[in-house]
Amino acid sequence: MPDPGVLMRVIDYSKCMGCGTCEAVCGFIHELGPFIRLYELGGGVARPISCFHCSRAPCVEACPTGAMRRDSSGAVYVELSRCIGCMACLYACPFGIPDYGEAVKASVKCDLCRSLRGDGLVPACVAMCPSRAILVGMPKAVGDEVKRRALARIVQLGEFK
Amino acid sequence: MKFAFLCRQRPSSSKLRIAIVGAGPAGLTAVGFLVCRGHEIDVYEKLPIPGGMMTFAIPRYRIPLDSVMEGVEELRDKFGVKLNLSTKVMCGERHDEGDELAVNSVDLLKLVEGYDTVLISTGTWRSRKLGIPGDDSKNVVSALEFLLDIHVEELGLRPSHLGSFKKVVVIGGGLSAIDAAEESILKGAGEVYLVYRRTIKEAPAGEYEIRRLSRLGVNWIELAAPKSIIVENGVARGVVFQRMKLGEPDESGRPRPVPIPGSEFEIDADVVVAAIGEVPTPPISSECGGIGKYVGKDGKIAVDRNFRIPGTNIFAAGDVVTGPSKIGQAVSQGLRAAKELDRFLSIKTLVAR
Repeated sequence: MPDPGVLMRVIDYSKCMGCGTCEAVCGFIHELGPFIRLYELGGGVARPISCFHCSRAPCVEACPTGAMRRDSSGAVYVELSRCIGCMACLYACPFGIPDYGEAVKASVKCDLCRSLRGDGLVPACVAMCPSRAILVGMPKAVGDEVKRRALARIVQLGEFK
Repeated sequence: MKFAFLCRQRPSSSKLRIAIVGAGPAGLTAVGFLVCRGHEIDVYEKLPIPGGMMTFAIPRYRIPLDSVMEGVEELRDKFGVKLNLSTKVMCGERHDEGDELAVNSVDLLKLVEGYDTVLISTGTWRSRKLGIPGDDSKNVVSALEFLLDIHVEELGLRPSHLGSFKKVVVIGGGLSAIDAAEESILKGAGEVYLVYRRTIKEAPAGEYEIRRLSRLGVNWIELAAPKSIIVENGVARGVVFQRMKLGEPDESGRPRPVPIPGSEFEIDADVVVAAIGEVPTPPISSECGGIGKYVGKDGKIAVDRNFRIPGTNIFAAGDVVTGPSKIGQAVSQGLRAAKELDRFLSIKTLVAR
């Protein structure tokens, strides 16, 4: 679990319908992206995956130049000027998240929309998901919402007014 | 959906006015981008509530209504976007599905004259017809009409035209067919059939969704195509199907369904839903002067690589350009078209100075 006070993003796959809005907005605002992408799982099902921003991130530990680092909100990002493109981060990542960015000859990945957050906005994928399937926030708040949703699936109140 | 996800508040006004025709995912996403560039936006939408297919066709369990509404309300209340609802924009004549909910009409050419630019994002609000005897009966509907009817009633806009039904036959293998079949189950239909002319392997909705519906109690029948509707006193009572086998690949690359002679069978129905595809509905008919030629035979608007109808101040994006797609593609189209439209306006103002 991340330390309290750092951002956590969770994709709620019970809500995701695979529409690709997250990938579309991410690709639009990040020239080197998209950094959240859908993959086909067979049977016509595609779902998105992106960086988990681990609190003890193996990519940060594996990086030989200190390019893979964490911002003050806990988002793991690449400092491009320090990256040598060795992709040790990719070997270290249990989810295969870092991409090799041809154009910059460096590792590129999701930074939870650092520039939007700098302006007081939320990451684009979270803002635009039609199904509200992408949650971001403090771990306690995100965890509570995930549990509330699970509970709503178990205890179906049905329609009441 | 926070359509204006790129800015916290409205920048100072550019004094440039843009009309957006069609408030679905492509149009609203474009609005979100353009308000962050300071432009003055008027939205024209034929239905009484914005959101397009997200509000009127896609089942609520996939997209909660307030997810769309909170984004629209922010555009209206915080960014000064003017919503002209129940207003159909058209140049020439054509009736599309959902048009009966429009109360005002506006000539597209008036918008083209009155605004600096117009963005068309009117989607695909017409359905392919079965083209078999009896398909004009009143309880033979398209998937879009069927889903629209359910949503319109749930939104409290008017009572359902379909009334109650027990046996539903859905014809098709795409996501509209899936949604129509699932909504039928949720509406309490006891018998729901989903009939497709190829096999589950070729169905555009994918094997996973079809197997999921089978578990919900939908009867999946593959390799059968409708031959005629059984009609009594103008009302459909069932469908005659003919068994198919897979033949050589057709132009789509999928094996062509070939009828098996003498293999006809019937399924009873109180509602027949034709879910065999939707086609683009541009606000431009062939009678519409010089721009009519930019609408293809398939109804798609032919734009240049900058999303513009060449030589005009009209842009187009979303399903009306690409044909039916997922929301992600419509959103992507809306954003890219809005960026090009914004660039077009900046160049125009620079030149004018």
